[in-house]
Amino acid sequence: MFSSKPNNEKILKVFSGIRCLSKDQLPRYMEGRLTDIEKHLVEQHLADCDLCFGALQALEQEGNEQYQDLTGKLQRFIHDSIQPVSHVHKVAQYTKKEKTKESLLVYFWLIAFLVIGIASVYVLRGHLRNQPPPPPRTLVSAQPAAKDTATPPSGEVTNQPIVTSEQPAPAPGHQTAATPATTTPAAKPAATTANPPATAAPAPPRPTAADSIAKAKAAALKAQQKKHAADSIRKALALQKQQDSLKKEKEKGNDSDNKKPEPQPEPKQEIKEPAPQPKKEAPPAAEPINSDEYLYKAAMVYQQQGNLGEAIDRYKRIAANSSGKYAEMATYQLAICYRSKGQMGKARRLFREVIRMDGFLKNNAQQALDSM
Amino acid sequence: MHQQLTNLSDKELISRARKQDREAEGVLMDRYSHLLVAITLPYLDKAPKPDPNIVLPTLLQRLSASLKTQTIYKANEWILHIQKGYFNNPDKNIPFYPSRDGRDLLHIENKVEKAGTNIIDRQDLAVRLEQALQRMTADDRDLITQFYIDNKSFADLTAAMGLTREKLRDQLKAAKGKLAKLYMNQGYV
Repeated sequence: MFSSKPNNEKILKVFSGIRCLSKDQLPRYMEGRLTDIEKHLVEQHLADCDLCFGALQALEQEGNEQYQDLTGKLQRFIHDSIQPVSHVHKVAQYTKKEKTKESLLVYFWLIAFLVIGIASVYVLRGHLRNQPPPPPRTLVSAQPAAKDTATPPSGEVTNQPIVTSEQPAPAPGHQTAATPATTTPAAKPAATTANPPATAAPAPPRPTAADSIAKAKAAALKAQQKKHAADSIRKALALQKQQDSLKKEKEKGNDSDNKKPEPQPEPKQEIKEPAPQPKKEAPPAAEPINSDEYLYKAAMVYQQQGNLGEAIDRYKRIAANSSGKYAEMATYQLAICYRSKGQMGKARRLFREVIRMDGFLKNNAQQALDSM
Repeated sequence: MHQQLTNLSDKELISRARKQDREAEGVLMDRYSHLLVAITLPYLDKAPKPDPNIVLPTLLQRLSASLKTQTIYKANEWILHIQKGYFNNPDKNIPFYPSRDGRDLLHIENKVEKAGTNIIDRQDLAVRLEQALQRMTADDRDLITQFYIDNKSFADLTAAMGLTREKLRDQLKAAKGKLAKLYMNQGYV
């Protein structure tokens, strides 16, 4: 087996791949200037390769000169056409790469700046959106604070001694009994001289000074609720009546004496119920003097007390005589009065009138009308 | 770069040329340019007498174009096919397909090349080739044995057998094809 191996291995030569003849191998083979081994390899290849054998035959026929000449030309042509192209190609590729790199960088920074800009705008807007709430809060908190600070100190600080000296005794005992005594003095200063600080707000100190805390608390709560609306109105009423009475006095010299007592008792009777606190607060409300306002407030008081007929009368007067805000408000209240009296037709008509006025109560009127 | 490329095999150069490597394509063309010129010489003397300055570059262009699209097993066969196609029918571009026999030969050549220095593989291949050789006719077996194993040249054989070189070559080629066929069909026997 071992001895036959080289012989065996030789047979593989039949199928061993051999490269084609090179440029100078061809003429050398023709001229017989090859070594035995080389010649054998060339002949092995020639047995397989049609191209090389064809070339050999052609060369043998045509001669060597043209072959050398044309081969040299062709190789030069290949070198010329391919190498510069490849060099140019490389340069172009490099520049292209650089350009794309640059443009990508430019795009990147553009996009980055855009994103930063948009983000900052977004953040800023979010910041602004979140900021507005604080100012209203401060405003809302400031207004009540201002009110609180404005009203109580004036009453408490200035009036405490006066009130305590006069009223501690009567308040807990009999409200009704105490009222007639205090009403007349309160009404008079309000009418003659608008003097707010003296009698301003004795209500808060009174309950605190009083013995029964429960009663005081209840009274204070009710009183505070009614104060703002009713108390000041009463003084307005008083003022208005005085104005009326003055006019009447001027107009009708003798008749004024008969008529005066009539209007006066009415307010006094009505005032008597919530009396003790309101009377002392009359002066502060008297500061802004407006007949329409007084009339309106008086009517409100009547309405609150359930005296709808009287209230309707006054409201009608305001609606007929004045214009603007109070006319509208009066009409609206008139409608409410009619509604509570059960006269729905009149109420509806008046609500519609309010809507027609197109004022700040329009929405309320519309709602009331819708709910009827 | 150019020096490195000249050392590469045809197969590698072709695959590089397909990847737009103009330099590899140039090296490949350069390698076969003298053979292309040699086989074109007889056509240049024929009737229309074409200008070699036009014909050869045109041929190169054709080769370059087909290099990118065709499957090429053997560069020499491909170049010959393109060249013959160009001169026989210049307007028609006939694609190149290797024949069945050519593929058998190629297969065995690849196997031998792959076996390389692996003794076991080489032994196995040698034994099987020997078996195939034994089944050939006596004339073919003698011819192959004398030419390949006894290293006799064309001149020796033509003198001994009284044949022309072309005829001897044809016989050798035919005998080799038969051997390849026998080897490939051994499994069926």
